[in-house]
Amino acid sequence: MNIQRLSISGAILASLLFTAWLINGDSRDSQAIAFSLVAGGLFGYILQRARFCFFCITRDFLEQRDSSGLLALVIALLVGTLGYHAVFGLFLPDPSVGRLPPDAHIGPISWVLALAALVFGIGMALSRSCISAHLYRLGEGSIGSIPALLGALLGFGIGFATWNTLYLAAIQQGPVVWLPSYLGYAGSALLQIAVLGAIALVLLRKHQMPSATKPTLGPIATLFQQRWSAPIAGLAIGFLAVIVYLRVAPLGVTAELGSLSRTAGDQLGLIPSRLQGLDTLAGCATAVKETLLSPNGAFVIGMVSMAFAAALPAGDFKPRLPSLSESARNFLGGTMLGWGAMTAIGCTVGTLLSGIMAAALSGWIFAVFCLIGVIGTWKLLQRTHS
Amino acid sequence: MLNLKQSLITAAGAAVLAIGSLAQASEYLVSTDWLEENLDRQDLRVIEVSVNPGVFERGHIPGAVNFRWHTDLVDTVSRDIIAGDDFQGLLQDAGISDDTEIVLYGDTNNWFAAWGAWIFDIYGVENVRLLDGGRSKWEAEGRPLSVRPSNYTAGNIEIGEPNLELRAFLPEVVEVARSENPEVDLVDIRSAAEYEGRVIAPEGVNELAVRAGHIPSAVNVSWGEAVAEDGTFKSADELREIYAAAGVDGSNPIITYCRIGERSSHTWFALSKILGFDVKNYDGSWTEYGNSVGVPVTNLAGTVWGGQ
Repeated sequence: MNIQRLSISGAILASLLFTAWLINGDSRDSQAIAFSLVAGGLFGYILQRARFCFFCITRDFLEQRDSSGLLALVIALLVGTLGYHAVFGLFLPDPSVGRLPPDAHIGPISWVLALAALVFGIGMALSRSCISAHLYRLGEGSIGSIPALLGALLGFGIGFATWNTLYLAAIQQGPVVWLPSYLGYAGSALLQIAVLGAIALVLLRKHQMPSATKPTLGPIATLFQQRWSAPIAGLAIGFLAVIVYLRVAPLGVTAELGSLSRTAGDQLGLIPSRLQGLDTLAGCATAVKETLLSPNGAFVIGMVSMAFAAALPAGDFKPRLPSLSESARNFLGGTMLGWGAMTAIGCTVGTLLSGIMAAALSGWIFAVFCLIGVIGTWKLLQRTHS
Repeated sequence: MLNLKQSLITAAGAAVLAIGSLAQASEYLVSTDWLEENLDRQDLRVIEVSVNPGVFERGHIPGAVNFRWHTDLVDTVSRDIIAGDDFQGLLQDAGISDDTEIVLYGDTNNWFAAWGAWIFDIYGVENVRLLDGGRSKWEAEGRPLSVRPSNYTAGNIEIGEPNLELRAFLPEVVEVARSENPEVDLVDIRSAAEYEGRVIAPEGVNELAVRAGHIPSAVNVSWGEAVAEDGTFKSADELREIYAAAGVDGSNPIITYCRIGERSSHTWFALSKILGFDVKNYDGSWTEYGNSVGVPVTNLAGTVWGGQ
């Protein structure tokens, strides 16, 4: 274990906590920002340690029949489903009254959602990461993620430009389906557990153990050096998702990016000054920036800095200059990620993770079409390469 | 370090408390101190009416009930306050009976809590008071919050006919606007920029008007003038002075308005409940008046359609 690297990580953690302490004040806003900074740090740490990248875990399964990453996702969704339902019981004791629990990412369903998820999936395969993974990879020194994230900003802008047309064509009339309002909390939790359990069984059956088994390391090495196992990563993400929803808002990583893009587009006069209905929909909503630091911005800052703090002692911090064609591909993929995330009001974190945990049909639909986009593009790329 | 910060906060809180407990501006206000001491009383019902959704659910005053202004306290189809029957059902579900004491509070300086108090008053519900300083003062003093939902057995309150003496409608306001020597004082509580006609509405709001400016003869006293630094209402003497400086001394009946009738309820509360003046709230406000055809408008900025 490299003591120097570990102490840099320690210093980053200390400054993150100190900043949170400074921000935290009497107002709820400041408390939400301080909390989000720490929670984002934890999220970035977990994602990096588990290498929880939605594209990579899918590719591991497709190429090597290694299910462990996808299992981590399923475990996170299971834990999150249970936790969300427990919180819902507090927020909205009776789910059948026609209200939705506050802030939960339960979106309208239409062909636009399916298309946005599909485009997002294609963007994932092209840029080899989703937005959350590009963010944590920034902490690993992935310079290639910068063009992808710049592309995402552009994609958001295109999303704003096409929003009013798509909203009036389909989104506005789209039904908002929240499973507990039909099945009750017990019914919806049981249904989701059954579906997730079935997916887990399939993944376990298809799983082939990686050929070389890793030696068991001590607890310190496990924490700082070795890749976290699927159950640990899944449990940690599910637990964090529930706590963050209880305290601030569902997990999401695109609201701040979208707000940056919307503010820029607004000032340049490139996007419609009135985005119909957008501010009334639940999800990773974006607003024209009024304050420098929002809870979601703090979350992303915490995430990137702690991903760096996690990558350093593990030896995962490897800055590398991408080739021009790789940068171009990442930029194009990133644009698709941005457009998809804006149009679906969230990405693999905000709509898939936080949506499915909230028992929103929109989360499941995003998952299905995103996966189709990823697998389709991956197969196409395989064919052109071979 | 944490302890240091904690003790600083406690000291600051104690100082605020000491100032806060010196005076309660009106019998229609309760202090945070009083409320915390009386929370266990069975005949007391605390109701949160906050502007922002999701605030109540993430922590409310223990035992409080949530009234959502945008669906619970209005007619959801036509532009109107909640119908009497629906309001009675809402109160009964919250376990309110004829002898229940009610305390309202909310976020953003009690804007919608005051609006709630106006609706309670219209329907003749008695024993209704406002938590002075609202939610932000309660939080700033580090008082407990709970996330547990409250469940009460249905109450038996019956409410009467709406008292329209508290509510101004467009024809009455137009009559004041047209009269040479109005015997009603209009108080516009919006920002100076809205009052002068420089903007139609603050940035980011969806409910707009076609014309900018204000109702002729209205004076501009922003709602915030009535609020002390800690979010409580200023003392009755201070309030009397502030409104008198604008020519509103209670000798005439008063009509308050804003953009949608919400913040003007805050001023309605200050003028009627603290100063005891005869006040109506014009809830149609500028979104009705500024869209009406043929009514007189004063526009100091000379804007047309929001431009020059």
